[in-house]
Amino acid sequence: MAALFPPRATKWGRGVLIGGGLALLLVPVAAMAWVRTSWARGEHIVVQQPIPFSHALHAGTFAIDCRFCHSEVEWSANAGMPPTDRCVTCHTPLWRSTAVLTPVRTSLATGTPIPWRRVTQLPAFVYFNHAMHVSNGVACATCHGDVAHMTVVRQVVPLTMQWCVDCHRDPWPHLPSQPAAVTVVASQASSLPTARTGLIAEYRIHQFTNCTTCHR
Amino acid sequence: MPPLNSDAVRQIAADLSRRDFLALLGASMALAGVTGCVREPDEPVYPYVHPPDAGAGTDLHFATAMALDGYATGLVVRSVGGRPIKIEGNPLHPASHGAAGALHQASLLGLYDPARARAATTNGRTLNWSAALRSFSLPALRQLAGQRGAGVCLVLDPTASPVTAFLLARLRTALPDATVHFHHTIESATVLDATRMAFGQPLLPLVDLSNAATIVAIGADPLASGPWHLRHARDFGARQRSIGRVQLHVAETSPSPTGSLASNRLAAAPSVLSSVALALLDRVARQQGVAAVRVAPVTLTSMAAAWVDAAAADLLAHRRASVVVAGDQAPQDVHLAVTLLNALLDNAGHTVRYVPSPLLDAGDRSHRADVLAERLGDGGTSALIITASNPVYTAPFDLPFAAPCQRATQSLYLGDYHDETAAVTQTFLPHAHYLESWGAERAYNGVISPVQPLIAPMWSGHTVDELLAALSGDARSGLALLKACCPAAATADALRRGIVDSTEAPSHATTIRWSALPVLAPPALPRSHTIEVAFPAGGVHDGRFSGNAWLQELPDPTTKLTWDNALLLGSGTAARLGVSNGDVLELRVDRATITAPALIVPGHAEDSGSLSLGYGRRGPGTRARLIGASTAPLRRAASPFTTESVQCVVTGQQHTLAVTQQHWSIAGRASELIAGAPAKALPAPLYHGTPPGHDGFGADQWAMTIDLDLCTGCSACVVACQAENNIPVVGKTGVLHSREMHWMRIARYTGDNGNAISQPMLCQHCEDAPCEYVCPVNATVHSDDGLNEMVYNRCVGTRFCSNNCPYKVRRFNWVNYHEEMTPVDELLNNPDVTVRARGVMEKCTFCVQRLRTAQERSALAGAPRTGPVVTACQQSCPTGAIIFGSLTNPDDAVAASAADPRAFRALDSLGTRPRVHYLTRRKDPA
Amino acid sequence: MTALADVLSQRASERAQARAQLAEPPLILPGARGADLALRIITPLWTARRAWRFLFIVPLLLTGLFVVAMGVTLVQGIGAWGNNIPVAWAFGITNFVWWIGIGHAGTFISAFLLLLNQEWRNSINRLAEAMTLFALVNAGVFPILHLGRPWLAYWLIPYPATTGVWPNFLSSLPWDVAAITTYFTVSLLFWYTGLVPDLATARDAAPTRLRRQIYGIFALGWRGSGDAWRQHRIMYALLAGLATPLVISVHSIVSLDFSITQLPGWHSTIFPPFFVAGAIYSGFAMVLMLLIPVRRFFGWEDIITERHLDLCARLLLTTGLMVAYSYLCETFLAWYGGDPFERYALITNRAVGPYRWVVAAMMGCNLLVPQLLWWRRLRRSPLTLFIAATLIWAGMWCERFTIIVASLSRDFVPANWQTFHPSWVDISLLTGSIGLFALLFLAFLRWVPAVSISEMQAQQARSSGDARHG
Repeated sequence: MAALFPPRATKWGRGVLIGGGLALLLVPVAAMAWVRTSWARGEHIVVQQPIPFSHALHAGTFAIDCRFCHSEVEWSANAGMPPTDRCVTCHTPLWRSTAVLTPVRTSLATGTPIPWRRVTQLPAFVYFNHAMHVSNGVACATCHGDVAHMTVVRQVVPLTMQWCVDCHRDPWPHLPSQPAAVTVVASQASSLPTARTGLIAEYRIHQFTNCTTCHR
Repeated sequence: MPPLNSDAVRQIAADLSRRDFLALLGASMALAGVTGCVREPDEPVYPYVHPPDAGAGTDLHFATAMALDGYATGLVVRSVGGRPIKIEGNPLHPASHGAAGALHQASLLGLYDPARARAATTNGRTLNWSAALRSFSLPALRQLAGQRGAGVCLVLDPTASPVTAFLLARLRTALPDATVHFHHTIESATVLDATRMAFGQPLLPLVDLSNAATIVAIGADPLASGPWHLRHARDFGARQRSIGRVQLHVAETSPSPTGSLASNRLAAAPSVLSSVALALLDRVARQQGVAAVRVAPVTLTSMAAAWVDAAAADLLAHRRASVVVAGDQAPQDVHLAVTLLNALLDNAGHTVRYVPSPLLDAGDRSHRADVLAERLGDGGTSALIITASNPVYTAPFDLPFAAPCQRATQSLYLGDYHDETAAVTQTFLPHAHYLESWGAERAYNGVISPVQPLIAPMWSGHTVDELLAALSGDARSGLALLKACCPAAATADALRRGIVDSTEAPSHATTIRWSALPVLAPPALPRSHTIEVAFPAGGVHDGRFSGNAWLQELPDPTTKLTWDNALLLGSGTAARLGVSNGDVLELRVDRATITAPALIVPGHAEDSGSLSLGYGRRGPGTRARLIGASTAPLRRAASPFTTESVQCVVTGQQHTLAVTQQHWSIAGRASELIAGAPAKALPAPLYHGTPPGHDGFGADQWAMTIDLDLCTGCSACVVACQAENNIPVVGKTGVLHSREMHWMRIARYTGDNGNAISQPMLCQHCEDAPCEYVCPVNATVHSDDGLNEMVYNRCVGTRFCSNNCPYKVRRFNWVNYHEEMTPVDELLNNPDVTVRARGVMEKCTFCVQRLRTAQERSALAGAPRTGPVVTACQQSCPTGAIIFGSLTNPDDAVAASAADPRAFRALDSLGTRPRVHYLTRRKDPA
Repeated sequence: MTALADVLSQRASERAQARAQLAEPPLILPGARGADLALRIITPLWTARRAWRFLFIVPLLLTGLFVVAMGVTLVQGIGAWGNNIPVAWAFGITNFVWWIGIGHAGTFISAFLLLLNQEWRNSINRLAEAMTLFALVNAGVFPILHLGRPWLAYWLIPYPATTGVWPNFLSSLPWDVAAITTYFTVSLLFWYTGLVPDLATARDAAPTRLRRQIYGIFALGWRGSGDAWRQHRIMYALLAGLATPLVISVHSIVSLDFSITQLPGWHSTIFPPFFVAGAIYSGFAMVLMLLIPVRRFFGWEDIITERHLDLCARLLLTTGLMVAYSYLCETFLAWYGGDPFERYALITNRAVGPYRWVVAAMMGCNLLVPQLLWWRRLRRSPLTLFIAATLIWAGMWCERFTIIVASLSRDFVPANWQTFHPSWVDISLLTGSIGLFALLFLAFLRWVPAVSISEMQAQQARSSGDARHG
């Protein structure tokens, strides 16, 4: 009677078996690799804001201190978004001009807030406190990157728990060189002389690795 | 949990002011902050348009006051992003001294109740406020009910508000013949009648327990109910801590929280209580040789006699340092006997002062139910205006409201819900919640307490004051009225502190008019083969909170019954009637009958039963529809809180009662649970990781002590915990599955003769926690400062931790308990606490959000923590039984308390080293 | 002289008769000898009658119920079960421990008895191993299903996560995962390795080309060359060596889920041996429940003889006695230890607690029923054995239930005491899992050689060889 299988069946059979085994091994490995890419973490996402606001212009060119707009950052958990009033303090001369400022004008006229979009998002169960970081020597740039050179701000750090915990376990290397460097943008901070040890002493930095530091 | 959808925001925001709009936005942000998923919904961030004067980015606390039965309790309300989210007691307020009762704290849920009435209606047509009031303008009323308003009848809740007083007076001048009535629901004016009889003028006894060595309570629950109970509890706690054991003699029908602490307790039917009071009076009078007291001979059972002996002995041993109290619902003869007793013992001026009642027209006919019944009955009412809370439901059998409402040409009801009363009135106006209101109230001792809103009216509600003003053609807002009628309460200082100084009622010098007193005779004992039924205020008060899920699910301090009321019976009576728990009885008086399930309570008086008020709602507009049995058919206006000779017939039907505790006996484990061997010296805490003195989190070592000598089981702490920690309710079926989520559960163990002990059971934060090593994913671990941490987002829900917890204090989210939450419900959530998803374990965290906030504050200030950190349960505890703090902080009282010789740790023999210490009860001096 | 010889010869003949009486009948009856054995095992695979289809109906329905109940649990949450606080574990874990215990008998037979070269195992090991696999399929379902958030079950596996957090190796549960997966993998390989030559036999004997191709694929090109046989034997022995310790380790680890806690009724050092004994006990019960109908249905009484039943019954009795001893130990130590909580949990609560009827059932089935097996006649009566086995099988479920639910429902603090009532989902999951087992087992009987032909033939070769030499 005719052979049940062609000669190459053996090769295929072996291929299937070995391939299956490898797949079992590789699929999880691939998955673990994927979640470690910037794509999986959404670092590429560009958020459309209601106003084409340029941090590069404000924080870079004009070198405005971060705290001028994000004024709650030193004493509140939230950095705080600037009230419409804050924009107007500088933008009154341009009051009548520039279509890009229309949302500001309407907001002021109607009393409805400007709906900004989040760029840096943490999971709901993470209780992040800006004040605790900024006033303990962690520079804005450490987590938000050098926004002074970003026309459109993007997420530039992994924001994985591993990334947070690395710093919480060993905070010292991540501190900027000087108190002054905390809230000014990184580009200017880099020029400052280093006195990190003094900074650590001044801020009394500790490890905070208890779960309830962030999860409550 | 779905984020607040923007349609809802717009729909809600449509009729709200900017302040509320921001409140809702704050909520939406908070909600975006509590949803369980990792990739956040793309919720916008809304900055302010104009920065507020204060508090951007922080939470604020406002002082206000809540009036119940006319008496105010001062509160402090925490507001986040424009949303009130937590109610606590006002330390400066005389009626609170920082404590808050279950009702006060749960009233917050009422603010966000989606069932609240949202629009004014006339005969079903939705109108705005002024349009609805058109037919009630002064001219309209005059034209309808006579120039002098003879046909106008107003029915109000009892009130002490100076603003209301002013407006009412003005209305009376405008309509001299209009009648005003105050509808009492859970307390009566009998005490005023008694004092009028004794002193010649109606006065309120103002009891001061802070220097009482002996307390005798007859039919009273001074520590856990009544308008002044928080203050009583505070003073009692302080006294008990300072002098050891206060001698507490309690004679009561149904076991009460106060009774659970009694050193000498008597269970007696209401009618017997009168006899007991008289017998006590007689005994004391004889001992002191006062002949003026004439008491007809009283026959008592041997047990009652023994109680009287003991009480009399203690009273006489502590003249001037003792006090006798009767309950708000006690009949007049008991109040009279109590007044005379305090006089005989010379307590007046020492432990009890007599002050005029702050209530409007106190002691006047306008407070009498029979007068009201007559007025409603006479048919001459053409305009009936009701601001009392749902009288159609709360009124007793022979005080019918429904018919007069329908008979009146014009009827108006200002109410919170479209309830029974709204159903029979033509014009309905939504009532503003007190957290939405401007006004002023008076505390039991007369102190004026400003009421200020935390949020503008969510559903276009208005206050009673605004209605009264509108009736006399004055369209001013609550704030304007307050400024006009009671400027003292509108000052910045008064609003900040929540009280107006030196407005306390002056105490009157009193002399007993012995000659005028009749011979005091006890009431005739009721027929046998019937029982007396008492009607105490239930967990939902007079029914105005029956839609409040927190209160419905709060286990009754005595019976642990939830989502129901039941006829409480002593075991003897139950045996005589041949009923067991859940058997439905038919209760018959004359021709009126109701049916109610029986619940046997150890320590309840025999030949009598108790059926709490506030259940069996039939009207629309409440979640509590058809829950429990209505008491109205059995009650008579003459004695609204007890009905004699009630016939009980066993129907043979069964009703399932959701009781959270199945075993009242401690099963011979007292030594391990409630009277453990005192820890000789406090063992050095096991520091996990950082050593003491380290100024990270390790600097603090958190611990708690709970004094079983002070815990009445009142359950205020349970509600406080529920509000603080976003704890869901599970409903009756959930309770029947024993899936209630309360992080704090009050275990109650009863011995024979109904003496009981209450033990709050919460996570013990064991230093060697059994739950921690069995968790496969490290979701529950130990912190440097000695907390047993629970990480919800790491939990996969094996429930192994719960199995290995000897105290069984862990709670599991069996299903998604936040599914049914409406966007409005969600405004209530505390943004500092994660809302737990389905399938994760949760438990008491020692309010870690408060601890971390305090630690962050001190870190930001760059200085060590100053002042105590207070947990929600501790803050609310009326007797101050709960002490919390850091063992390493000399300022915190907890270290000293844990070193108390009475301190012990539950199930210490297991070696779990709990951070919660209980202080065992002192032995009564034999 | 002659008299003496007569006497001696007489004694000798008597002794011979006595020996003859005592001697066991042969393992396989003459009818089963010869070349037709392979045919008799193979042919049912394609000469099945229509009646077969009807056998599948009930199991299919029950499996459907299983799937529905699982769906409800996953969609609605564990709330669909009757579990509560304090009884946070109930049917789910009971079923898990029960099924995984049943699995043990298969491995015991195939691995242990192979190494001890007990030839009688050859007739039943294929059936027993199949039972192990299908029991493990069920056992694997419940631990995942009982999680509050099953979709995160992989967090119990140690892998480098972006959270920088690892599982807690102090807990027994991560070890559970390892033990069960290992056990399943090894059992599957072992079963399949043994199966390959028979699949080849089926391939060669199959009537149609399609069948030949299907069996051919699964036979992995087995040609039965001497070389292949040698490697096959080595592989088989190696896997047996791997599987043997698993019989002990897996259920020991499962028992740690209870004994590492301090719950009275769980907190006990005898659990590992106790659980292993119990596991093999319940397993052999189920083996008998399966063997007896199968041999009857296929007319294999001469392949799976009363002698096999007898031997299984003896093991049943032995393990039963071990279990009895453990019960005794537990109770005695609870009393002798004097700890009030232990005493209450293991004596009072079991005697008069809310679950006393389950306890009574467990005692009756697990202690009394096996005592019947002291009698040789009963050991060899298929009907009696079947009934006894079924009772023990159910009794062991009651044992798991008692240990888990009765202990949890009343522990240290009386105010916490609550009773557990199963929901319809609980009951559906239990019956459904039995249905799934039945379905898989029927499929196995229908399409796979249910007795190991190769091993039977090898055994015959050996025994005939012995006959020649002896």
